[in-house]
Amino acid sequence: MSRTVSDILLSILVLLLQTTVVRFLSIQGIVPDIVLLWIIYLALRHGQIYGTLAGFLLGLTLDLISGPESMLGLAALTKTLAGFIAGYFYNENKTLQTLGGYQFILITAMVSLVHNVIYFVLFLQGSGLQWGDMLMLHGVPTTVYTTAVCLLPMFAFARKVLS
Amino acid sequence: MVKRLYDIVLLFKEYVVAAFCLLLSIFLLALNDTPQIRVLRSYALVAVGLLQDGVSVVPNYFELRRENDALRNMNLALSDEVSRLREGKLENLRLHQLLGLKERHEYRYIAANVIGRNLQLLRNTITVDVGENDGVRVNMPLVNESGLVGKITGTSSHYAVGQILLNRDLRVSAKVQRSRVDGIIRWNGGSTLHLYDVARTMDVQTGDLVITSEYSGLFPPGIKIGTVSRTEAMSGSLFQIVEVMPSVDFTRLEEAFVLVSEPDSARISLEKQPH
Repeated sequence: MSRTVSDILLSILVLLLQTTVVRFLSIQGIVPDIVLLWIIYLALRHGQIYGTLAGFLLGLTLDLISGPESMLGLAALTKTLAGFIAGYFYNENKTLQTLGGYQFILITAMVSLVHNVIYFVLFLQGSGLQWGDMLMLHGVPTTVYTTAVCLLPMFAFARKVLS
Repeated sequence: MVKRLYDIVLLFKEYVVAAFCLLLSIFLLALNDTPQIRVLRSYALVAVGLLQDGVSVVPNYFELRRENDALRNMNLALSDEVSRLREGKLENLRLHQLLGLKERHEYRYIAANVIGRNLQLLRNTITVDVGENDGVRVNMPLVNESGLVGKITGTSSHYAVGQILLNRDLRVSAKVQRSRVDGIIRWNGGSTLHLYDVARTMDVQTGDLVITSEYSGLFPPGIKIGTVSRTEAMSGSLFQIVEVMPSVDFTRLEEAFVLVSEPDSARISLEKQPH
């Protein structure tokens, strides 16, 4: 119970960070997706169902707070999928090893790429823009940036594992 | 059953939860009215259409049976309609030809349907659905688009009976159109008529057209009777046998016209007087 409550509180914090502070880390308009990172972490820590539900709820919240310009349900959909895919790599006995090892980087990179591909494919429908171009312009850099940011928690968990 | 279902759900709970969340997300996406969603809706429509198309290949027995019954009924109704249309077309064709006949002659015609035939071997008659109330009188000629049919021999208020050319009692004054050779048309049974009283020296050839002559007190001149189908000189006789194929097909006689041509009573009475 306390775990869930703490996760909810942390989720709120992550959402706040994503919508306020993270934009200061923008490079050429590209920002890391720390909400996605948080969902991957939850899925690897607590399992597939937890990750899926967390992805859906956080995505839905993002949709709701992103204003009328956003597509309600798009973030919920992509982040649900992200949580579900990340949950495949859940191993109850090796949680810390996964989070503190290179697997975390690979999982983040893969999940982020899938997330961004689906996001841009859906988001750019009917806009006349080539989703492939937009993916190369925004999706891949976001994936790279998010994967780069995931190195920070990875090193933190690696230290924890070593200690 | 419920327990089994529960076990299955439990076994695949991760997928069930993911599917539920994804469906909910898609539902929320569908609520948007943005260009992106409109395009996605059209894709979904295409996908559903393809799916339905694929599924429709699998036949539904009960549906097929019902469809089969409906098609059979429709087939029956259409066959009936085709038959009636065909009948109408043929009738239209015949009436067109009859109209053409009316335009060729200046007589008044009374259109009649042949409603009965009395085929008594040598005394064949037909019954038509017009009578005295319509102006039909005894001895009026019966014609159709092909030529002379016969003459009226009996009338009631609404019906009339007529002798046809294939009646031994009917004689018609006729002539060969090309050579103007006169004779008397009469039927002796068989499929052809005979032109009597034609001298063997007269010029009559196969294919010659035979028409009513002006010597007839009943039939106006020029009505087609038939064509000469055979000529043969009678041995030991001054006359020749002239067979005439009637131009009217009596086996398919359905409509006719009563030709309103009153016999010239003055002429008839004069001709009857001894001279």
